[in-house]
Amino acid sequence: MIGYYISLALRSLRRTPTLSALMVAAIAVGVGASMTVLTLNYMMSQNALEHKDDVLFAVQLDSWDVNEAANTTNEIPWQLTYRDAQALLRSDIPTHQVAMHRYGFTVELEESAIRPYTADIRVTTRDFFNLFDIPFIYGGTWEKTADSSPMQVVILSKATNEKLFSGEDSVGETVILNSQPFTVIGVIDTWEPSPKVYDVNNGSFTKVESLFVPFGLHRKLEIYSWGNTNGWDSGEGEGYEGFLQSESVWIQYWVELTNKEQKTEYENFLTAYIQGQKDQGRFERPLKFALSKPSEWLVLNEVLSDDNRVLGWVSLAFLLVCVINAVALLLAKFLRKAPEAGVRRALGASRNAIFTQHLIESSTIGILGGIAGILLAFMGISGIRYLAMGQQDTVARMDWVMVIAAIGLALIASLLAGLYPAWRISRTNPSIYLKTQ
Amino acid sequence: MLELKPMLSALWRNKVPALLIALQLALTLAIISNTVVIVKDRIAKIERPTGIAVEEIIAINVMAIPNNYDMIGAVSSDLELLRKLPFVKDATITNQVPLSRSGSAGTFYTQPNQEVGGEVSNRYNTDPNFINTLGLKLVAGRNFTNAEMQYFDPSEIRDINVAVITQQFADKIYPDQDPIGKPLYDGNTSHPIEIIGVIERHLGAWVDWSKAGNVAFFPIVRNTQDVNYLVRAEPGKRDDVLKTLVDKLSERDPQRVIKTRVLSEYVARSYAGDNLMVKVLSIVAATLSFIVALGIVGLTIFWINQRAKQIGVRRALGASRSNISRYFLIENSLIAVTGIALGSAAALIVNQYMVRDYSQPVLTLLPLLICALLVLVVSLAAALAPALRAANISPATATRSV
Repeated sequence: MIGYYISLALRSLRRTPTLSALMVAAIAVGVGASMTVLTLNYMMSQNALEHKDDVLFAVQLDSWDVNEAANTTNEIPWQLTYRDAQALLRSDIPTHQVAMHRYGFTVELEESAIRPYTADIRVTTRDFFNLFDIPFIYGGTWEKTADSSPMQVVILSKATNEKLFSGEDSVGETVILNSQPFTVIGVIDTWEPSPKVYDVNNGSFTKVESLFVPFGLHRKLEIYSWGNTNGWDSGEGEGYEGFLQSESVWIQYWVELTNKEQKTEYENFLTAYIQGQKDQGRFERPLKFALSKPSEWLVLNEVLSDDNRVLGWVSLAFLLVCVINAVALLLAKFLRKAPEAGVRRALGASRNAIFTQHLIESSTIGILGGIAGILLAFMGISGIRYLAMGQQDTVARMDWVMVIAAIGLALIASLLAGLYPAWRISRTNPSIYLKTQ
Repeated sequence: MLELKPMLSALWRNKVPALLIALQLALTLAIISNTVVIVKDRIAKIERPTGIAVEEIIAINVMAIPNNYDMIGAVSSDLELLRKLPFVKDATITNQVPLSRSGSAGTFYTQPNQEVGGEVSNRYNTDPNFINTLGLKLVAGRNFTNAEMQYFDPSEIRDINVAVITQQFADKIYPDQDPIGKPLYDGNTSHPIEIIGVIERHLGAWVDWSKAGNVAFFPIVRNTQDVNYLVRAEPGKRDDVLKTLVDKLSERDPQRVIKTRVLSEYVARSYAGDNLMVKVLSIVAATLSFIVALGIVGLTIFWINQRAKQIGVRRALGASRSNISRYFLIENSLIAVTGIALGSAAALIVNQYMVRDYSQPVLTLLPLLICALLVLVVSLAAALAPALRAANISPATATRSV
């Protein structure tokens, strides 16, 4: 019976090509627009650390100006000062902990045809790879001593290893960074979290750094941050040491706490630390710190911006108008065929049968509209990539989940649109139409 | 107007289709009026004067390969070379590229050793050529001289003596006063920096910043691992100059990695998000009006077909063609006005959420009225063709099947 209804539906669509095309187009445009925007918002709401969401925490300490709260959503600076990061690193409570920031080096190889280039670097403690579950292809992370004393070792991204050593095992090779020799001790596999949850300071959809060096190098190489550095107290000391001891915040800090007891213990540790600093005249604001899960961190940092939310609502409202439009047009179309339905009813078809037949007809329109809508969404997404000038390439793409969601959305939209018209025509009184024949 | 009563009772019998049209118009008005204010706001933001000769400027980033590179020595040789290149008007050094969304800021006070009541400003470390290179306009006082230039190590603290600031920053920090000769204190310090000049306008590093336009320029170069140069080319010669820059600078000293990008590309990237909102919302608003119009055409045609007999009877009883057309147009207007009334209320309610939760601009009465008028026109235009067609139904055909 369903096969027959589908062929009836297709025949009926062909009989009124303009009206049918109009309905398919309305559904397609509605689905296309909303899927474009929803795909973008869905990709921006991803959490690459979801599998460790219960155990990872971004650490914030309120070391800010007593006169004015930090300008963030929870009024605690996003980053830590270097001296606080060093103090927290001394704790052995967390299973893993990472202090890090973004930096840049010039990269070259000895006796190589590769032209020197600048690369984004992550200066970090050794736990970075364990804490964020980053797999190694070759070698592994550095010794713990490299986090506090200068050791010129480097870990390469897969892409960098391909560029410099054509993908071979490069452990033990030398890379020249800012004219200093660094020994390769590891190569990591491709790892591209999007949004870049571990550091959303300089854009949430930028690429992961291509080289990683130890946290113990700061004093030797006088490393500043290539990310945000925010300060409130200009009374800093002289020279690089003065900068390290200043109240400027520029270090990102993550901890892994595997159970509740560990978390409570760490919270007590932070409270005691801030208390101790207060005694020394620092941390003049009310005692405040925050441990945020990756999912909470993304929300706090407003990775999904207000503009994206506005676009989301607008596109859903747009889809709603398209559905109402389809209801009106389907009503017009079905009622024009009321005499046919009257004859079928007189020949013994039940109201249910008439209802099913017309619902199938509207689903057909929905499927056609859905397919066209997916094509439109692909066009819309490439349009967004173009308009964003490459700044949203990691999120402006469609995956299978979204393709299936698009078809689902089109079906739901057309079923919703068809419900009332199909019900309405199944209620027609056959006698009226039989009389006029 | 005698028609109003039968018209209303006819509408009542057909209330579902009429309601559907009214609902579509209402939603359309709510969406369009809110998108229009957002689009208008963003266009105004994008078109704000920057005070900068954006189209003529190239930004160069130079990063030293050796670790203890003498950047200060390199800077003077590089600038000398850049300024002598053909078609180059001028060149300057800066700690940040204007309008690039990356830069430095500080809080300044009018009194020494203050901790509250300061004004935040974007801060440039540059040289006397910045006015000419950026195409800025000095409206009061004077520029720096080469003798006032100071060269520091990256985190060296030394007193700065003079500053040039923007008119906007001057108005904020010294309202209703002549800022020339007045002191600025950089954070909680006791050393006065004398304001020696005022620039008409300069938007600064961040286009999204609420205080964009608060800018102070200092005659400083810091000995950092990397520096930025800005080069201004003769009008129309930017791309020719761009081609030679990397080679010329590398030729002078190969110990650096050099990257160039035209300023207009930085600006386009900085406004990409706003531009995206403008384009997407405009497309949505236009498509929406079109789809709703098509929906009205389809529904009115259906409606007229359904009532062909009644029209025939009316025509037979003496109604003129214009009577019939007018009937459908007035009927459409009634529906449209209902939709617009509903839509205006919805638009204002939605706008409250947009303002409160998503920091979007307020919808005022004028744009709402204009959008309402637009929706009415679209609705009437859509109904016009079917209404005229209805008038052509001849009394004979319409009554034949009775």
